[in-house]
Amino acid sequence: MEQWPPAGDDALLAELGAALLDSGPVPEEFLDTALAAFSWRTVDAGWTVAELTFDSACDLAPAGALRSGGTDRTLTFHGGPVAMEIEVTRTGIVGQLSTGCDGRVSARTPDGRYEDVPMDAMGYFSMGPLPPGPVQFRARTAEYAMVTTWVLLR
Amino acid sequence: MTPTADAPEGAGPPADPSPAEEVSADPTPAGGPVPGVERASPAELVAAAGAGDERAWAELVRRYTPLVRSVIHAHGLDRADAADVHQTVWLRLVEHLGRLRESAALPAWLVTTTRRECHRLVRLGRRTQPFDPYDDSVDGHVGRLLLVDAASPDEDLLRAERQQALREAFAQLPARCRELLALLAADPPASYREVGDRLGIPIGSVGPTQARCLARLRRCPALAQYVRPPASGAEGTGGDRDGAVAARR
Repeated sequence: MEQWPPAGDDALLAELGAALLDSGPVPEEFLDTALAAFSWRTVDAGWTVAELTFDSACDLAPAGALRSGGTDRTLTFHGGPVAMEIEVTRTGIVGQLSTGCDGRVSARTPDGRYEDVPMDAMGYFSMGPLPPGPVQFRARTAEYAMVTTWVLLR
Repeated sequence: MTPTADAPEGAGPPADPSPAEEVSADPTPAGGPVPGVERASPAELVAAAGAGDERAWAELVRRYTPLVRSVIHAHGLDRADAADVHQTVWLRLVEHLGRLRESAALPAWLVTTTRRECHRLVRLGRRTQPFDPYDDSVDGHVGRLLLVDAASPDEDLLRAERQQALREAFAQLPARCRELLALLAADPPASYREVGDRLGIPIGSVGPTQARCLARLRRCPALAQYVRPPASGAEGTGGDRDGAVAARR
């Protein structure tokens, strides 16, 4: 394996220059959004965080799974024993929480805007199209409160 | 934009945007290190941020934004997508602070998370933009996609980590060394005469000072960990590199 950092001062200086140049001036919006992310730290303390376990955009669909017509993308989140499935279509989002039970689901963006809809007794819910950028879903039923990891739906 | 500006009552995060100004005003370390967080290890910063320390979070953002950006850059996303991925990665890190607390593997986690989000958008882009000016056949798309995915992730990661190590080592240098090296490493580089004028040192001592500063750069912990016995590098797995960067103190 090649030696690194390079032994020669000229080569090291060149790499340093590239590293400093690549870092460049960071656009302020990048820093701002990254710094602001911290203010979400305690908002859902105690809620189960559901990880994204399947995304049709980059995972192979499980055998037998069939996308319904008009669905652009399917995502599954798992938080403990509970799963939330989201289907993204041109007209919005339909989803289901695996613990079919009355409750509410909300989706929110990093600047705090959100949509809040009821879930029916089977755990189904639907909402309109969400804005671009990261979103996060929260579901609350009588026994269960979970929040998904942030995800880009586009 | 802070998340609190127009948040509905009860839905937004707590209002405290105070750390933003200090850092965004001086994203480069040229102003001299703030005692404390500047020298903290990633693990210490993650632990402190997980406990609610906003200065530790601001330092994580300052220190690792270039790493996240360099991974995003390697995927050729447009600016809006790049900004979305960047924001998503930091939101994810907030969620993961508690789980990363016992691990020093933050840089590797950031690289992996960023890559995954980039891949998502690259694949979505393929579906939502059917017209490829170079090749509009299905095979063309698949080929392009595979190319992106197979773009030697280890090299990407290695390059990003090395650049990060260089920047971290650079940030630990005394201010005069940083100034001198920044001038000499610029493209195009400043001449010895310009450097001498700018720093008020004799032209004859620019060369020796450069050598001393570079030697000092090599000794910084961020770089020193890469210096290993010449014959021991046969394996060179990604895991080794992740560990090497992550274990930095």
